[in-house]
Amino acid sequence: MTVAIGGSPVIRVRGLTKRYGDVQAVAGVDFDVAGGEIFGLLGPNGAGKTTTVEILEGLRPADGGEVSVLGVDVTRDADALKPRIGISLQTAALYPKLTVTEVIDLFRSFYATSRPTAELIADLDLGERKNAQTKVLSGGQRQRLAVALALVNDPELVFLDEPTTGLDPAARRSLWDLVLGLKAAGRTVLLTTHYMEEAEVLCDRLAIMDHGKILEMGTVDELVMKRFHERAVRFDRLPELTTAELEALPAVASVKADGGEMLLYTSDVGPTIGALLALTERRGLEPQNLAIRRATLEDVFLDLTGRALRD
Amino acid sequence: MNALVALTIANIKSYVRDRAALFWTLAFPLIFIFMFGFIFQGGGGGGLTLGWVDHDASPESAELHRAFTALRSNELVELPEAEARAQMQDGEVDAVIVVPDGYGEAITAGTAGSATAPASITVITDPSRSDLAGSVYQAVGAVLGIVNLGGRPPLVVPDPQTIQTENLNFISYFVPSMLGLSVMQVGIFAAIPLVADREKLILKRLAATPLRRWQLVGSNVLMRLLIAMVQAVIIVAVGVVFFGVEVTGSIAAVAAFVILGAMAFLALGYVVASFAATEDAANGMTSVIQFPMMFLSGTFFPIDSMPDVLQGVARVIPLTYLSDALRQVMVSGAAFAPLWVCAAVLLGWLVVCFAIAAVKFRWQ
Repeated sequence: MTVAIGGSPVIRVRGLTKRYGDVQAVAGVDFDVAGGEIFGLLGPNGAGKTTTVEILEGLRPADGGEVSVLGVDVTRDADALKPRIGISLQTAALYPKLTVTEVIDLFRSFYATSRPTAELIADLDLGERKNAQTKVLSGGQRQRLAVALALVNDPELVFLDEPTTGLDPAARRSLWDLVLGLKAAGRTVLLTTHYMEEAEVLCDRLAIMDHGKILEMGTVDELVMKRFHERAVRFDRLPELTTAELEALPAVASVKADGGEMLLYTSDVGPTIGALLALTERRGLEPQNLAIRRATLEDVFLDLTGRALRD
Repeated sequence: MNALVALTIANIKSYVRDRAALFWTLAFPLIFIFMFGFIFQGGGGGGLTLGWVDHDASPESAELHRAFTALRSNELVELPEAEARAQMQDGEVDAVIVVPDGYGEAITAGTAGSATAPASITVITDPSRSDLAGSVYQAVGAVLGIVNLGGRPPLVVPDPQTIQTENLNFISYFVPSMLGLSVMQVGIFAAIPLVADREKLILKRLAATPLRRWQLVGSNVLMRLLIAMVQAVIIVAVGVVFFGVEVTGSIAAVAAFVILGAMAFLALGYVVASFAATEDAANGMTSVIQFPMMFLSGTFFPIDSMPDVLQGVARVIPLTYLSDALRQVMVSGAAFAPLWVCAAVLLGWLVVCFAIAAVKFRWQ
């Protein structure tokens, strides 16, 4: 089930292109996904994430480039890949008049080997709804069923396309736990999302996509640190301290007063905080709600594309 | 479990749980049959119209004429034999009675006790109109019963002959037509759930599994054929039980045409599914195909009563041939086209539509 980590990558994409009429949906994409990792494609709607994933799944032909998934050349032999992967489409499409159990049983019949229905229902916490027709399921239950269907064949690699779009925060968190559970079980997961928080919580590595291209790739920390070397030290504003005084503190690059909060951008948090505390001590002050904050993916995306990533 | 079987069962479950689909396939044709059946049954209460061919022109034959006229309100139309047969073909008269030359002499001999054989009259009926043939023999029996009262052995015996007439009674014509219509609906309505499944990305999801496309198409075909057969059984049973429709042909032939017809219309449905982008579009296209077919195929109006242009259309559309074939094999209805032509036309539609769908159908 688990593919050896450190060996050849589970997914290898080079120079992938795809065009729909006048629209270049994917414009030369390269990335690798290692066994056992959760890899994310992050980007706004229309960035080319879904097209990329569907080419990897063997659902769409590529115009150009090489795509190897689990050692299979997808452009040549997608059928050899299908028994070994699990997918969940962006829209959880299910037979509306069949029950949860019936849909799982149906999908099990498509595979030579499959996990027992009862086990899948228990794992995905669908026990209470197992005899309900899928049309009456809630959004979160529907997504869990879609993931159950992706796991029917006990796949080595799972594709999840926008697994939490449209879910409420509780349902989203429950699905995150599920995805982290897949990783713990040694599976490789490729997911797409346009939620920063989701990418930060789930992805070992991620690629930021826009207009069919990968703009930046790496771990969340790498992506953030590459652009934002400074961290922000924040505390509730103290009118007694002048901006000039704060700017003179060691390692501080800039100072920003934002409403009731002071932000010190620093390249080295330790000396800055030490000096800040010494300064306030001397003046008989106490910084309230002192915290260290780093830049987020949202800041990275803003920096890369000049626009915010919101849905 | 085999994927083909599992998917077929899943399709059937989805179908049976869809009340609207069930209504349109099962209840709708039955409502039509009962409605038209009762409307047209009401008119047949009066006496018989009999073609009367008198080759003898004797007092005895005149006596017989009086006996038939006296019975209930039978109407006798005196005609030359060829004309009488022709009128029966056209449905102008219900049956023909021929009094042969020498009838009077035979009666005279019989009454005198010197006859070697009883006199006979020829009674020509159409066995496919069983209710009518029954009434005719009832009338003949009643008349001859009176004539034969005096003699034993009987003076006169009926000599039954049969011919096929053009005009079936309405319900015998209508039941196979409704069967054809239902088979058409089962077939072309296959487009709608298929397009809906594509729109809801179910087909795309299935494409990501090892399920083969032939399994997907095969399960769809199997399920539709099953529905067509169930429908056929129900419609024929209602025709037989409630309206006395007599299935004169072979059940196997009926089943064969139901299957061939269903396949041809399924292929037409797949063509619709190939060109309709949305479920609504598929609904619209299905209606556009269905309604002309319904009215121009001879289901409600005989084809030869239609204007030439529409007759031309009727000559092309597959439902004409399916219903025609079903009428021929079920109730020995008059042929619009020979059976092999019906089969060939349906097969032609099947092959052409399937080829178009195979090229044009998009799975996502």
